[in-house]
Amino acid sequence: MKYFATIGDKQFEVEIKSDQQIDVDNQQLTADFQSVGDQPVYSLILDGDSYEASIYTTETGIQVLLQGQLFEVQVEDERQQRLRQSSSAPQTRSGDVHIKAPMPGVVIDIPVEEGQEVARGDDVIILESMKMQNEIKAPRDGTVNRLRVKTGESVDQNQILLILS
Amino acid sequence: MFEKVLIANRGEIAVRIIRACHELGLRTIAVYSEADRAALHVRQADEAYLLGPAPARDSYLRGDKIIDIAKKSGAGAIHPGYGFLAERDDFAQAVLDAGLVFIGPRPSAIAAMGDKAVARSTVTAAGIQVVPGTEGEGDLSDDDLLAIAPKIGFPLLAKATAGGGGKGMREVKSIEEMPGLLEAARREAEASFGDGNVYLEKLIENARHIEFQILADSHGNVIHLGERECSLQRRHQKLLEESPSPFINDELRTQMGEVACAAARAVDYLNAGTIEFLVDKDHKFFFLEMNTRLQVEHPITELVTGIDIVKEQLRIARDRKLRYAQEDIHFNGWALECRINAEDAYNNFLPSTGILNSVIAPSGPGVRVDTGVYAGFEISPYYDALISKLICWGETRGEAILRMRRALEEYRILGVKTNIPFHQHIMDSHRFIAGSFDTRFVEERFSMNELEEEKKHLAKIAAVMAALVTHRESQSASQIVRRNKRDTSNWKWVGRWERMNR
Repeated sequence: MKYFATIGDKQFEVEIKSDQQIDVDNQQLTADFQSVGDQPVYSLILDGDSYEASIYTTETGIQVLLQGQLFEVQVEDERQQRLRQSSSAPQTRSGDVHIKAPMPGVVIDIPVEEGQEVARGDDVIILESMKMQNEIKAPRDGTVNRLRVKTGESVDQNQILLILS
Repeated sequence: MFEKVLIANRGEIAVRIIRACHELGLRTIAVYSEADRAALHVRQADEAYLLGPAPARDSYLRGDKIIDIAKKSGAGAIHPGYGFLAERDDFAQAVLDAGLVFIGPRPSAIAAMGDKAVARSTVTAAGIQVVPGTEGEGDLSDDDLLAIAPKIGFPLLAKATAGGGGKGMREVKSIEEMPGLLEAARREAEASFGDGNVYLEKLIENARHIEFQILADSHGNVIHLGERECSLQRRHQKLLEESPSPFINDELRTQMGEVACAAARAVDYLNAGTIEFLVDKDHKFFFLEMNTRLQVEHPITELVTGIDIVKEQLRIARDRKLRYAQEDIHFNGWALECRINAEDAYNNFLPSTGILNSVIAPSGPGVRVDTGVYAGFEISPYYDALISKLICWGETRGEAILRMRRALEEYRILGVKTNIPFHQHIMDSHRFIAGSFDTRFVEERFSMNELEEEKKHLAKIAAVMAALVTHRESQSASQIVRRNKRDTSNWKWVGRWERMNR
């Protein structure tokens, strides 16, 4: 099975031939890959070099935390890559984004209004939790479609705060 | 004298104080909120009493209840730790009024140093230079501020009286631009804090935040235990401290130490305290404030001086004489402390809550971990995000940094996101290694996304691991639909199984 793993502007071709044999950019390597203790932690021994990483699958890709360095990796197999390349339509992100509370807290401030245009990285909600004021930022450019909370309101974890479209 | 100590705190500092008490043969009493029944300080103390619901105002800030518990349980003294009630002179007074010992300064000293205006005038009277400015002089009009500004000198800062976090703050370079900037600062302060008052403060360029640990006994002896470099901050939150400071030489240390002791004497200080200074690039130093309590970062001083500060606090509270004179204090090697917080270093330092699935703390030579948590404990949203303090000692600054790198890599915390990657980046940063940083370093000249050259090859490993995880997931997904080994069809089997569950 062949996979294409992309980090930023770099792409790596990883062909998994068996449990022990993989080719990385056509270089043959011996790999021993194990998960550790039922956790999202994996140990890899690659041609004798030992690595350990925490790996999380998210909506936007796979996050690999390795030696204090976080890598965002997009992985596609051959079929997915062919499909993407043949579809000529440019990749557009559509649909609404639901911005949820990452932790329980109190809404201190809402620096945006319904209908307002925001850019990726703009503060949309200020949430106080753990004695800290935390800025919740817009994950992409868009328009504030709906505000689901008011200033001063207590929210639970994962409660929808705002809808961006 | 007291034989039993109540610790009016939680988390790592409560555990730290319990350790000191047990070494001195004192019995310990923990207090806890409903969220902290299983906390480490409750498990380690000799006695434990419930305070109330999880929010601090219903539990750890209930001074009346804490004093009540102390009296009922026969405690002779209360140690407040840091935060919560530690710098409340009314609480310290109430403890004394109840006939108990307060392990800390006298209420009058807490009050004097707690009020900025009083603190500034007290130390100024003792001949100590403060950061020039109008803080604590009440609310001044624009005309007053414009008249005072040239006396302070430019550049200066206009800061919101009620402020914090850089809101309502403006850098003023000349008198001409001042009226406009004052108006902007007032507007922002009004919007953020509902209070449009501002004060002026001289802008110390390339400022370093350096503090001195002092100890004072009830017999009039005051000594200092050297400095701590606390310039690495994010939004006025200290993240990493070291002792000694790479910026301070012996001569300056002696000079600043004497000033620190003089500031403590000016308020008739007792027990452990910390004098904070701002130091500019020309080694001129200004008194900033005094923290009238044990500091979070006290362990680095312990490692370089060999003195157990919490045990000294307990001895001082028992009216013992200090065992050291200033000339007995020697500094050996270098110590660093990283504050390990439940914060996502890759997502704007957003706090992260949840159950700690697994914790493997680093150990080995020169490594100390002060913590109040363990695997299975929950990081709740009620209190601060400090998981532990990782402290490393080395013969030289270089060795301490290399040891800290090793310890950070060893540290495994699963269940919540932590700022360990942030500390790893700092330890790799050439500017940090060279010791050239100031209080604005983290916010202005530091990025989590810059990759040091020696770590570039890791991208390939990360790509391989991500591909292997994807492969595993698709394999296990295909196994679900693979034809079963049973003769009957899977559909039939599911139907039977569902009926069994009815």
